[in-house]
Amino acid sequence: MPTGLTEPYDVVIVGSGAGGGMSAYSLTHAGLKVLMLEAGRHYDPVTETAMFNIPAEAPLRGTGTPDKPFGFYDATVDGGWQVPNEPYTVAEGSQFMWWRPRMLGGRTNHWGRISLRFGPLDFKPRSRDGLGYDWPITYDDLAPWYDKVERLIGVTGRAQGLENTPDSPEGCLMTPPPPRGYEHFVSRGFESMGIPVAAMHAAVLTQPLNGRAACFYATHCGRGCSIRANFQSTTVLLPPAMQTGNLEIRTNALVYQVDLDRTGKAKGVSYVDRVTGEHHSAAARTVVLAAGACESARILLNSKSSLFPNGMCNDHGVVGRYLMDSVGTSVSGQFPALENLPPTNDDGMGLEHVYVPWWGYGKQDRKELDFPRGYHIEFGGGRSMPSVSMGRYLDGGGELTVGDDLRAQARRMYGTVVGFAARGEMIPNEDCYCDIDPTVTDKWGIPVLRFHWKWSEHETRQAAHSVQTFLEVIDRLGGKPLPGYQTDGAKAISRGGEIIHEVGTVRMGGSAKDSVVNQYGRSWAVPNLFVTDGAVLASSPDKNPTLSILALSWRSSEHLAEMARRGEL
Amino acid sequence: MSDPIETDPEAGAPYVSRIDRRTALSWLGAAAASIGGVGAAPEQAAATPAGQVPVLQVPVPGGYGTDPNLKHPTIPWPRLFTPAQLQAVALLCDFILPASADAPSARAVGVPDFVDEWISAPYPEQVADRPVILGGLTWLEAEARRRHGANLTEIASADRAALFRALTLTPADPALAAPHAFFRRLRQLTIGGYYTTKPGFKDIGYIGNVAMKSYPGPSDEVKAVLERELKKLGL
Repeated sequence: MPTGLTEPYDVVIVGSGAGGGMSAYSLTHAGLKVLMLEAGRHYDPVTETAMFNIPAEAPLRGTGTPDKPFGFYDATVDGGWQVPNEPYTVAEGSQFMWWRPRMLGGRTNHWGRISLRFGPLDFKPRSRDGLGYDWPITYDDLAPWYDKVERLIGVTGRAQGLENTPDSPEGCLMTPPPPRGYEHFVSRGFESMGIPVAAMHAAVLTQPLNGRAACFYATHCGRGCSIRANFQSTTVLLPPAMQTGNLEIRTNALVYQVDLDRTGKAKGVSYVDRVTGEHHSAAARTVVLAAGACESARILLNSKSSLFPNGMCNDHGVVGRYLMDSVGTSVSGQFPALENLPPTNDDGMGLEHVYVPWWGYGKQDRKELDFPRGYHIEFGGGRSMPSVSMGRYLDGGGELTVGDDLRAQARRMYGTVVGFAARGEMIPNEDCYCDIDPTVTDKWGIPVLRFHWKWSEHETRQAAHSVQTFLEVIDRLGGKPLPGYQTDGAKAISRGGEIIHEVGTVRMGGSAKDSVVNQYGRSWAVPNLFVTDGAVLASSPDKNPTLSILALSWRSSEHLAEMARRGEL
Repeated sequence: MSDPIETDPEAGAPYVSRIDRRTALSWLGAAAASIGGVGAAPEQAAATPAGQVPVLQVPVPGGYGTDPNLKHPTIPWPRLFTPAQLQAVALLCDFILPASADAPSARAVGVPDFVDEWISAPYPEQVADRPVILGGLTWLEAEARRRHGANLTEIASADRAALFRALTLTPADPALAAPHAFFRRLRQLTIGGYYTTKPGFKDIGYIGNVAMKSYPGPSDEVKAVLERELKKLGL
């Protein structure tokens, strides 16, 4: 343990992912003494990542199982959709899935690395169309923090001048790699529909940065990266924070409560050691919650006292409310035009090199669409590393080939399937929230979350539109959609939580009446309590949230540090 | 797991398991420690109050757990195939993907062991496949005896090929629906097991998983093919 790190700490941070990792990075560099509590185990991507390992070296050829839902090599420790000993419940009539790891760095170890800035319209959605809630900040307030985050973590991209899809200032972004063969092909289809295709903004280095190596264009990002070429809290934020000498990390520390002193200020947190089952508390002058949107809400709701009988900061009942996830749909297409392509290396970065930003702002302004908010399109496939499921593409219709006929069929079909996915904006509604289950507790007796979920027509109509877009582009490119897709938006849409972009449960706002925290993530009710994860988002634009969580967390943390310097905490 | 073996074994020779000693030992240890019995169905639903959605419990009993060693994996569940079943699957592998002029057979890269590993696993997808595969193998043995009066491994190879060949066609006879479904699934597993090996990568034309200084994008040749195809589509 570094010297000088004793209780009470200046700050205790709950969680080590994008929000917590960035808070630790910022606060330790500001000279504050920080204790980080992580519910999962210690995790080191440099030594633990299975780089270059092929499916044949994994159980069941690496296929996903309930123990490893995204495949054997996925960088998720302890579960995913279910975590051992830590259940959650779903209210009758609702469907919700909650992805949690239990590891240092949280979901930043396996995430998709798509790093899109929210745009000016995204911060003022209610002003635009009367729905949802405006943020207490504008794009211009957050833009300098996006710049700082991009320069720190390394993000690819290029200025494209597209509406509500901000370009970064010169020097922020790294040169994106060229499109893959199939990306070149599919882009032409979208462009024929008048839909622009843009370079991906990916948290992947295409040139060395701060001692981290550039991507070598092999082995998927979802495994994590032992050469630290992509952004993980564990490779980019926590090591420099540790180097300041101002950070102590305790793992297997499952925080369940914020502790208050007699004056109503936070004095620390209580946690259970997941290995020993012992309960502890940690004292600090300031508490930062960044346990993940739903877990942070759970901690507040479970922090009941005479001052806060309804859960901390929850007199108005807003904590846990306005839970949002991205709208997700997908359709895959098979393209005969790709059947004669010579072998080409489609590995590239561990994610798409191009994507389709939402293009329909003008149509929505002119009321030409029956849904208010947009989606972006991600598409991937091609000649990726063969998986055990490829047999399913080779048994369509008629006689099942064997021998040389089967080999020829496999070679012809391989790389000709492209999957299209929409990620769209959901408008917060009264039916989507989490609360405390009245009867179920986890292994340590801590009440668990219960989820409630109902998509509105805003989302299901958007979902239907995205499926029609996919069918049209597949058709224009001479392809055929693979069976299993739905054209009815209510059937095509993902389940709540399934896209793993849950946000909004401790939302920020301009007033203590209808929000939990202010624009800096500082709670209205407890002056030395901050929230720096996705819980604070006031809306959930189609753009994947991680980059914005990083920018907001950095902005909040510098504000916290400035208050500490002035003795205001 | 062992490296795939590139040479094809002699035709007709018994299939020799490709599992390395370390993996075999871990399987043995797991079998000795197993209390629930070989192939016990996993406990799928955790107890949940009425009206709430039951959830799958993790870790799945008998599985590799929620925090396995990713770089040096072991497979904890015991294998279920009898020696005769393993030999039958090896013969089916020879039928589905025999060696070609350029590539080894499915047998040579250890696909029979993979199928055994798959149907023996405690996870829901694999548990669902288990009766399909075991039932199909039982049917094949019975059919070999009924038609030719001998075990599947002992009948003439032409008779065996005819038996297998019949399963490649969608059957008109409903009695053959289950054997056909068995063959379809075994073929899927054989394809999946085969093309996820290094020889499989080579045969299908997967040339990735190599470190590169920069990503070059598609070659001029690939771009020319794409442009030609796009032109045909009027794009």
